[in-house]
Amino acid sequence: MATTACFIIVSRNDIPIYEAEVGSTVKREDAAHLHQFILHAAQDIVQDLAWTTSAMFLKAIDRFNDLVVKLFLNLVSIHTRLMLLHDSRNDDGIKSFFQEVHELYIKTLLNPLYLPGSRITSSHFDTKVRALARKYL
Amino acid sequence: MEPDVSIETGAMIRVAVLPIGHIPASLLRDYTSMLLRHHTIALSAVSSFYTEHQKSPFANQPWDSGFLRFSFVIGGCTSSPWEDFQSNRKIHSVIGICHCPSSPDLDSVTDQFNSACKGYTSALVKRCFAFCPSDSQLEDGSKKEGNLILFPPADRQTQEFHLNTMVQDIAASLLMEFEKWVLKAESTGTILKTPLDSQASLSSEEVIKAKKRRLGRAQKTIGDYCLLAGSPVDANAHYSTALELARLTGDYFWYAGALEGSVCALLLDRMGHIDPSLIDEVKYRYNSVILHYRKSSIQDNTQRVSPLSFELEATLKLARFLCRRDLAKDVVELLTNAADGARSLIDASDRLVLFVEIARLYGAIGYHRKAAFFSRQVAQMYLQQENRLNAISAMQVLAMTTKAYRIQSRATASEELLNDDVGSISANSGKVHHHSVVSLFECQWSTLQMVVLREILLSAVRAGDPLAAWSAASRLLRSYYPLITPAGQNGLANALANSAGRLPSGTRCADPALPFVRLYSFPLLPSQADIVKRNPAREDWWVGSVSSGPFIYTPFSKGESDDSAKRELIWVVGEPVQVLVELANPCGFDLRVDSIYLSVHSENFDAFPISVNLPPNSSKVITLSGIPTSVGQVTIPGCTVHCFGVITEHLFKDVENLLLGAAQGLVLSDPFRSCGSMKLRNVSVPKISVVPQLPLLVPHINGGDGSIILYEGEIHHVWIGLSNAGTVPVEQAHISFSGKNQDSVISVAHEMLKAFLPLKPGAQVMLPITLKAWQLNMSDPDTLSGRNGLGSTGQHFKDGNSPSLVIHYSGPITNSEDSTSDGNIPPGRRLVVPLPICVFQGLSFVKARLLSMEIPAHVTENNPIPTFGESDSSEDVAGSEIKMDKLVKINPFRGSWGLRFLELELSNPTDVVFEINVSVQIENSLSGDNLVSDQDAAEFCYPKTRIDRDYSARVLIPLEHFKLPVLDESFLLRDSSADGVSWSGSFSEKNAKAELNASIEKLISRIKVRWQSGRNSSGELNIKDAIQKALQTSVMDVLLPDPLTFGFRLVKGHAEVSDNVETLNSKNSVLANEITPMEVMVRNNTKELIKMSLNVTCRDVAGENCVEGSDATVLWSGVLSGIKMEVPPLQEARHSFSLYFLVPGEYTLVAAAVIEDANNILRARAKTNSPDEPIFCRGPPFHVRVVGTA
Repeated sequence: MATTACFIIVSRNDIPIYEAEVGSTVKREDAAHLHQFILHAAQDIVQDLAWTTSAMFLKAIDRFNDLVVKLFLNLVSIHTRLMLLHDSRNDDGIKSFFQEVHELYIKTLLNPLYLPGSRITSSHFDTKVRALARKYL
Repeated sequence: MEPDVSIETGAMIRVAVLPIGHIPASLLRDYTSMLLRHHTIALSAVSSFYTEHQKSPFANQPWDSGFLRFSFVIGGCTSSPWEDFQSNRKIHSVIGICHCPSSPDLDSVTDQFNSACKGYTSALVKRCFAFCPSDSQLEDGSKKEGNLILFPPADRQTQEFHLNTMVQDIAASLLMEFEKWVLKAESTGTILKTPLDSQASLSSEEVIKAKKRRLGRAQKTIGDYCLLAGSPVDANAHYSTALELARLTGDYFWYAGALEGSVCALLLDRMGHIDPSLIDEVKYRYNSVILHYRKSSIQDNTQRVSPLSFELEATLKLARFLCRRDLAKDVVELLTNAADGARSLIDASDRLVLFVEIARLYGAIGYHRKAAFFSRQVAQMYLQQENRLNAISAMQVLAMTTKAYRIQSRATASEELLNDDVGSISANSGKVHHHSVVSLFECQWSTLQMVVLREILLSAVRAGDPLAAWSAASRLLRSYYPLITPAGQNGLANALANSAGRLPSGTRCADPALPFVRLYSFPLLPSQADIVKRNPAREDWWVGSVSSGPFIYTPFSKGESDDSAKRELIWVVGEPVQVLVELANPCGFDLRVDSIYLSVHSENFDAFPISVNLPPNSSKVITLSGIPTSVGQVTIPGCTVHCFGVITEHLFKDVENLLLGAAQGLVLSDPFRSCGSMKLRNVSVPKISVVPQLPLLVPHINGGDGSIILYEGEIHHVWIGLSNAGTVPVEQAHISFSGKNQDSVISVAHEMLKAFLPLKPGAQVMLPITLKAWQLNMSDPDTLSGRNGLGSTGQHFKDGNSPSLVIHYSGPITNSEDSTSDGNIPPGRRLVVPLPICVFQGLSFVKARLLSMEIPAHVTENNPIPTFGESDSSEDVAGSEIKMDKLVKINPFRGSWGLRFLELELSNPTDVVFEINVSVQIENSLSGDNLVSDQDAAEFCYPKTRIDRDYSARVLIPLEHFKLPVLDESFLLRDSSADGVSWSGSFSEKNAKAELNASIEKLISRIKVRWQSGRNSSGELNIKDAIQKALQTSVMDVLLPDPLTFGFRLVKGHAEVSDNVETLNSKNSVLANEITPMEVMVRNNTKELIKMSLNVTCRDVAGENCVEGSDATVLWSGVLSGIKMEVPPLQEARHSFSLYFLVPGEYTLVAAAVIEDANNILRARAKTNSPDEPIFCRGPPFHVRVVGTA
């Protein structure tokens, strides 16, 4: 089944520090834009939600058409959020995906050469995230 | 779907407002705005126009507190098919607006109005308002009956009052009409249809059902009218009935409608008293409304017309009602559901309205990004239709999203920043805006930003708004050039050019495009015009003031306090200044900047524009210049650039922020680094102040600007002209020197400059300066010592070795009252004139060495030992020699034992001929005459040595006069310390060394080597170091006398014999076969008594001892060996003996002595190590010429 998914990590200041289209559908440019637009718009809701919940994993915080935004809040720095936009229903898989990516992100943070809040440009990270996406989503 | 729906919409009387005849747009806007103000009319105000014809059906109308609400539809609208379902959708009244001056004929106005009203069948009250009628029209109109109402020309207040009255009249009429309608409906009933019903095939069962339903629907509609009439209590009663009936008949659609109306009635009833319980009630009821609408749509799923829009409208109504920050969650849920519903909407315009409303509501709860998202959806819908009006709408909608996507045009951003400042206190809390931080870095959601900017560009192009297109393209290009392919960049450049082509020339845009401009540096004022702050308290006012240049350290302020943390620049009115800026074009096309100049807001600066071409991916440092025009501060925030046909201002601060962001990895790329420019430290704009005119001295070196070529040691005169090119006279001036080789300036005419002050503008003064060229390679003594003569080859151009003439000067102190307040004194200036001296290697010194010359003296009657103490016998000797022959300096009779020559080897690597003139100044207190010994190795008698090019020559300097008279302890102490023997002397080693050096120095200073080349150049050779080096090792031998001096002489008593000899012209020769009495003289040069044992030997030419042995050729009387003598200090002792030469010829007499009981001084002099070793002194050989026959 072709799935659409867009994964994004948003730092504090609402700046995306990592973006990846991890869906299996054929990529269309305007669709990719739309995904980012949806995720960007979801920031408003995330911003309010983040302060009202203690859960790390939030299901379906926002949706547009069939696309659902899920959120994983980072405990290390509360303002960093892992967000996934997808059209699948596999909640468990998404949760595992978030957990694994979170671990990866923590590892990146531990890199002394990585300036927190700047873009994650590591290709290793990218490869890993895509592999995880294939595994879980 | 209708825009701008809310729960209260149900209670609004819809009034169409139609322009009649031609009305200028601005006037129409004016009139309608007057009308729109009267959207709420209190029932109490209406009552005076209201007449009750029959018993009002609105029994519970709140006459004192109720309102009638109007909703004006400007321009009218088409009637909705749903107007039976919701009575508020009907147009109940029509108001025509007419501007009399443009439509003079009132009859035609009335006709036009009546025909316009025909379209509105539901309209119950029709009025036409005619503004600004002329007098004739007033007269004309007053006669006419009908709907035309003339508003006589009056001031605005009166007109508004008039209008208010008219609207109240309309309200009253409408109220009466509503009563009529309700009464009619109650009595006769009415047929109410919706598009939902029309399709239903009417089976018999359906007909019966429809009859039942009709009653409920009528009740609902009456309720609607009650609401319109401002009577919520009546409305509620009717709605309750309607709800009951609709529930019974399963008419869900109408049930929902009635429920909606009841909520509206509830709200109207509780007007202004909203509490949480009411909110909950409304929420509950409206959820039920939405539910029932959904039910009805499911029920009528088969039908083509869907009541979905009512469900969505209800959702939006609830959302609008709840639209508060604390209920944001509910609103978001509602709006998300509404957005989901959009896909089922068939009509595109419905979807448009829905998205617009969603966006508005999100905006209202502060979800700007959500609002932007839906706005963009709206814009995309507009863009799907390719016409200009839609494109304009799309562009405007997109422009609203730019803030959320942080791609604002600077024009709007600055406005909003201002607004933010005002409203920051009241800004809703909780929502943390990182605007200040984030706005520095524009490239975060770069994908989105680019998409939005592209869409803006597209819509602007389509809408024919070149400025908006230009602005969007420039933002896109400037911020996202790294993400755009070169082809795309080219396309954007074309878009910019095309847009600019449609703009009038000289259009300004707030958004800068390319190039990137950053401050490079503020160049130092040229050294001719350097400005120095004046210290009024001091005579030497320039001391202690720091140079005005941008460098914290300057060689001129060396040693002074460098704590000028705040840099400050001083510019002078009327003198051009320069600022260096760096431009970068990181894009793949040739960038032509039509003009760029400094943008100065302080308006006291004339900037000169220049034009620049920037090739792809390049950066360039350019010089921007300008002239300060008046005294004050100058701030330079950036540059004004005319590029791509539009004038923009590029601020340095923006680029700084960009570079800062690039350094932190927040911005895509550093435009300067990508162009290969070096990383530059941040140049801050210094505080620049402009001072009034100052004098300006312009130097001019006589003989041209070329360097003055001098040979080492050459002495040269230079004339420097100083002219005042300023407009203010020079009143003070002072000359000093700086730089290397300052001592090469021998003299400057200070007084001459002083005499010329004040130097008027345009005046000139010539100053003579005497220079002496310095030595090259002074730091390398090895080269000078001559071991490697090739080391000092090559020419040394003016590479900072030249000294500079520094002239501090200043104009008059402006006013006496100004001078009292410190800081108002105009600064002075400093002129630095580097003296362009180029020193060539002149004569070079190859080698210096000491040569000793041993010429044995002849034994004569004269005292061979010069007595240094009282009468200088050496002087006598010298004097006699001078009488004899000026050129012969060696007395052959005295010999020259101990005479040393300093041989200087000089080479001439230059192209010219040098003549050397060596002079030795003899230290002589009595005569004081300078014995000039012009000597040459080759040509003895020529006074000067000529050295041709590429040749070398040796110059001999006799050093015989340097011997000290007394062998003193102090010298030996030095000697011994030099030898490393520890000596318990009273002198410290340091002192001794210094004294020794001083004596050497004295010795050397007497030797001068002057040279002359050609007619003009002459100079002196600096050979001090060389000589010192040469002398260092043997200075003891040169300077110190031996402890004992020996001498022989013929005894005077032998005079009669020597008379004969004199005829032979050798009074000093000795005859063979004759007894020759002689004396050996020993002089003690020490200050102590010396005991010794003296020996005298005589050798023949072959060196054989001819006194002793079997075949001795010389007989003697007296003692010749083992003579014990005691010589008192500084005295002489004599010993007489006689010799009898058997064979004529040359003989050599040598005296030698063994010193007994030698003291330490003697040992030190003799350089003996063990105390037991005998000290042996040997005198110089003396020649005896024995004449006669064998």
